[in-house]
Amino acid sequence: MFDCGRSLWGDSAMREVVSIAKARGIQADLFVRKVWEKSIEYEAGVFRGYVAREHTGCGLRVIRSDRRLGFYAFTLPCAPSEAVEQALEVSAFGDAVDFTIPSYPSTTEWKDFVDPRLEGLSVREMVEIGEYLVGQLKATHPGVLTNVRIAAGREERELFNHHEEEIRFARTFFEISIEATRVKDDDILTVYVERSWGNRDIDVDDLLKEVKLRLDLSERMVSVQSGQYPVLFTPSGCMVLLYPLLYGLNGRNIAFGKSPLQDKLGKVLFSSLFSLVEVPQEPWALGSCPFDDEGILTPEERVLVESGKVEDGFWDLWSAARTGRKTTASGFRRSPWDMPEPGFSVLKIKNGLRDRETLVEELEEGLVVDSLLGLGQSNIASGFFSCGVQLGFYVKGGEIQGRVKNVMISGNAYEALKNIRELSRDCRWVQGSILAPYILVEPIQVNAAS
Amino acid sequence: MRETLRDLARRPQNGEYLEIRLEHTVTTSIRIHNATVERLKVTEERGGSLRILHPKTGWWFASFQGWDDLEEHVAFGLRSVVLLPQSGTGVIRGEGTEEEIRFSPREDFRGKPLGEKVQLLFAYARMLREASPFVVSAVVEYRDEWRTVYFANSDGSVIFWEKPDISLSFVATARKGDQIEVYRDGVAGKAGFELVRGLEELAHRVGKQAEALLFARPFPGGVYDVVLDPVLAGVFIHEAFGHLSEADFLSRNERLQKLMVLGKPIASPVLSVFDDGSLENLRGSSPYDDEGTRTQRTYLIREGYLSGRLHSRETAFLLGESPTGNARTISYRFPPIVRMTNTGIEPGTVSPQDLFADIERGVYAVEYVGGNTALELFTFSPAYGYLIEGGKIGEMVKDIVLSGNLFQTLGKIDAVANDFRWTEVGWCGKGEQMGLPTPTGSPHVRLREVLVGGQRHA
Repeated sequence: MFDCGRSLWGDSAMREVVSIAKARGIQADLFVRKVWEKSIEYEAGVFRGYVAREHTGCGLRVIRSDRRLGFYAFTLPCAPSEAVEQALEVSAFGDAVDFTIPSYPSTTEWKDFVDPRLEGLSVREMVEIGEYLVGQLKATHPGVLTNVRIAAGREERELFNHHEEEIRFARTFFEISIEATRVKDDDILTVYVERSWGNRDIDVDDLLKEVKLRLDLSERMVSVQSGQYPVLFTPSGCMVLLYPLLYGLNGRNIAFGKSPLQDKLGKVLFSSLFSLVEVPQEPWALGSCPFDDEGILTPEERVLVESGKVEDGFWDLWSAARTGRKTTASGFRRSPWDMPEPGFSVLKIKNGLRDRETLVEELEEGLVVDSLLGLGQSNIASGFFSCGVQLGFYVKGGEIQGRVKNVMISGNAYEALKNIRELSRDCRWVQGSILAPYILVEPIQVNAAS
Repeated sequence: MRETLRDLARRPQNGEYLEIRLEHTVTTSIRIHNATVERLKVTEERGGSLRILHPKTGWWFASFQGWDDLEEHVAFGLRSVVLLPQSGTGVIRGEGTEEEIRFSPREDFRGKPLGEKVQLLFAYARMLREASPFVVSAVVEYRDEWRTVYFANSDGSVIFWEKPDISLSFVATARKGDQIEVYRDGVAGKAGFELVRGLEELAHRVGKQAEALLFARPFPGGVYDVVLDPVLAGVFIHEAFGHLSEADFLSRNERLQKLMVLGKPIASPVLSVFDDGSLENLRGSSPYDDEGTRTQRTYLIREGYLSGRLHSRETAFLLGESPTGNARTISYRFPPIVRMTNTGIEPGTVSPQDLFADIERGVYAVEYVGGNTALELFTFSPAYGYLIEGGKIGEMVKDIVLSGNLFQTLGKIDAVANDFRWTEVGWCGKGEQMGLPTPTGSPHVRLREVLVGGQRHA
């Protein structure tokens, strides 16, 4: 039903762009991202529609002999010589940079993460999954309205440089999300659960189980008094602790003196229970890649935090050159229209020894926090956070008592990472690219409206 | 092009509703960071989308690049839409219209040499940096975008638009030891290059404010009376109420419809809220929305009563109401969905000074960092604030995040001042569609008993 992989502009034109640059004595790399995606949506349990997208974006980066940087991004078709002219025009006002466009590895021995079952996924199959999810929830939770989105597609990244080298890799992706809404009197409950992965193997029953569990635990509403409590963050909830840390580890923020971790690399800052690694080649995880968006080969594993000690940050070519370091293959582009910036591929937070159930059972009094409102709206640079609890539960005597509402949690992420009491053994992938356990932190300030 | 579009939009033979959108966008983005050009890029995009609703199935949407294969896209879409499952939806049809909406800015940014833009930004970055010895990072971010859109639909509409957008923001990061504070402010508009000239004072102020935040005390959490300045009050109404008035949230949810039934008292009588895409030249303005429906002023709350909601053609069909011209898309990559345009709180009669008088202990919350909504629950953050003690504005405070509940908080607005103004820099994200310009307007507003997050409980 969808015509995929059609090439709008052959690779020969891409090669011509970098050849023109080479002939003019200019360093250049051309990043090309081709994506096709198809998705279906259900709204309140009813099929709504089908969306198909096919896009190619190209970003041309040039460095002139006087080291000035230029960038021009475009969609196809575009005349190769015009693309080079445009980038050069920009470079007249660009920054003088201290890095050079790298050579690409001659070997192409990596594996593409392409699942033919996703490339060939028909609308009918997607509809079957959608009907199943909607039907199952309707059967067990008749008062709940379900929105479902199912998306599948393929992404290809290619890089061409003025050495006339080229590298490319492809991956497929598959995303299923459920948003279940229950309205009771004047209470509106929304439960959102997602799974994203590089192949077809998303366990939809596990996804359903998670939605149902959250709905069931939310049946009862309980109140909580303001005060300090131990808080068990679920894998999606613990992003509030991770985002400020990722800001702090960003090489560009360090280079500009904006990171609180600027002079702290090599120091023990957090609980010895906390370790964070980047695993760029993790099979089928969504951020996995053999090379970053600047053509630098990724390592299999890289330690960022080891037992509370900050070991390394994220460095792209620009920030590494700025600070006299080496790139860590962390140059990623938000889109082909953006220049590379330090980012991560796939992250894993080291898990603990005991299951989350045990952590809850041993909790005398506290909260389980699953999702938050206003992430990133506090002072992420200093680590301060203050968020509305969108979905959270009150625990007393080792048992979940019910859902809490009109409650905020506040603190400092860097402090909280010091105050980790335990991490669970069981982990879950968040957005297909961060593997996280449940994290128990004590204390966290809780403010309640009542 | 218009002839081709007119012809293609007439293709449906079985009662399908069909829309074609073609876009060409040229964007210049410049980011000066201290004394370097951190980012300088020009991007050019040409793409299109096709959307078809079959009376017996559902929506078919395809987004593509290049304008050459339009005829094939339409033929393929019409063949494919029939095969989709039933959705039970429909659209309200409109009158066809042919229009050309052009824009002539005073100083067209397309004609400005890149060098002139960069020079001006460098000068601002210097002022921002020199405003305070504590400023470690001074960022000046500029963006101009010229979008041209061809739109045609099966009602017989063919519309050509020019949509310029220009923005400039100053971001200062101040640092004292491990303490880091960020402050930002800027301008944005449907305007030409003239908008970004003469902002020296603003640049200086942003640097000064970042420094001031270093010395401000964190505000302790608790429940307080709060006065919102017009900027934050606009964000508040956008988050607290605007989103839940977007009819796609409830068009298939009967319980939610009952909860949000028109005519229901939902706020205190001092509150009236509107959305108006037909206003001249705000960033959310346009004579037509992205489904070719005329924009209008829609009252969402009148004197405390729920009085209207925002519709696309589809939500209006599902609820048996009329489209309000609120179907918007951020680009050809996405289908139009129900969005706010320019949303505001209507001015009251009291002076802003009167709002502080009887507050024993509270906070005056100023400007904004952002806001977030999950239906009834919302949070919004001022950039900073001032303590209010014994009716007087006192010392500067920071780290304030306000949160609320739609059904409780709107009833706690007990005073609306008479100093209405628009803030144009705001944008909104919904679903996958981020960065849609959504200006907000408001006077000063007072709220009683708001939950404020913070590290220590008061």
